[in-house]
Amino acid sequence: MQEARPAVEQQTLSRDFALTGNLDALTPGRDAIMHFVREHCAGEQQEVDIQLALQEALANAILHGCKNDAGKLVHCSVEISPSAIEFIVRDCGEGFDTASAADEAEDGTNLTQHGRGILLIRSLMDEVSYRRNGSELHMKKLRSSG
Amino acid sequence: MLKVDIQSAPPVVTLVCSGRIVLGVEAETLRCVATARSERHLLLELSHVSRIDAAGLGVLVELHCWAEQRSATLTIANPSPRAHNLIALTSLNRVLHLCGCDGAADCGSLEWQTMTA
Repeated sequence: MQEARPAVEQQTLSRDFALTGNLDALTPGRDAIMHFVREHCAGEQQEVDIQLALQEALANAILHGCKNDAGKLVHCSVEISPSAIEFIVRDCGEGFDTASAADEAEDGTNLTQHGRGILLIRSLMDEVSYRRNGSELHMKKLRSSG
Repeated sequence: MLKVDIQSAPPVVTLVCSGRIVLGVEAETLRCVATARSERHLLLELSHVSRIDAAGLGVLVELHCWAEQRSATLTIANPSPRAHNLIALTSLNRVLHLCGCDGAADCGSLEWQTMTA
């Protein structure tokens, strides 16, 4: 008898999460999303990479988009397909200049406290883009990548 | 959780960090413990750091600048593979003083140099 393959091998799974826009919600929110994603990661290293990228994305949405305000919400949509795990993190903020924020941290000699999270996200994920003036982050990890 | 063991041998203090240096109380703890020290040479031992994020890296940068302003030194010793990888990913290996990892000084000689400075 053949062992049943996980459903994701044949179809796409998706789930939406919402967390309040304050730091108290960061760890439980991230852990809830990772609980959904974990078994679909290609390995431990990929899981660690995704968890850190997700942490940075949610932290940026909470701190910069929501101004650490529990009255606001951060939305995270997750889609797991046979080829990739994709996240859309959306906050209600006005957005920001994504290019300059990452450039600030790209050069290690720049010692400001800005943009390092974005740089980590770009380094750890396979595809990253911003929409809605920076208030919506799309990031994708290919399931075949390390 | 972050545990910081303090080993003082003036003018050197070694902060042995175990656990996570991440956004929140852990990063704040490291910042407070480090900036409370008066020794001229601060050694951050990171071999038992399991996780570090952008906020944790930010604290390392902040402490580096804080040390320079005081004409002191900050050295990152034996970063765990994960911590070293993220330091390199963000190019901070170009500015932070590292020892005990690929391409960096040996910690033993560096510690001896600072202690005899």
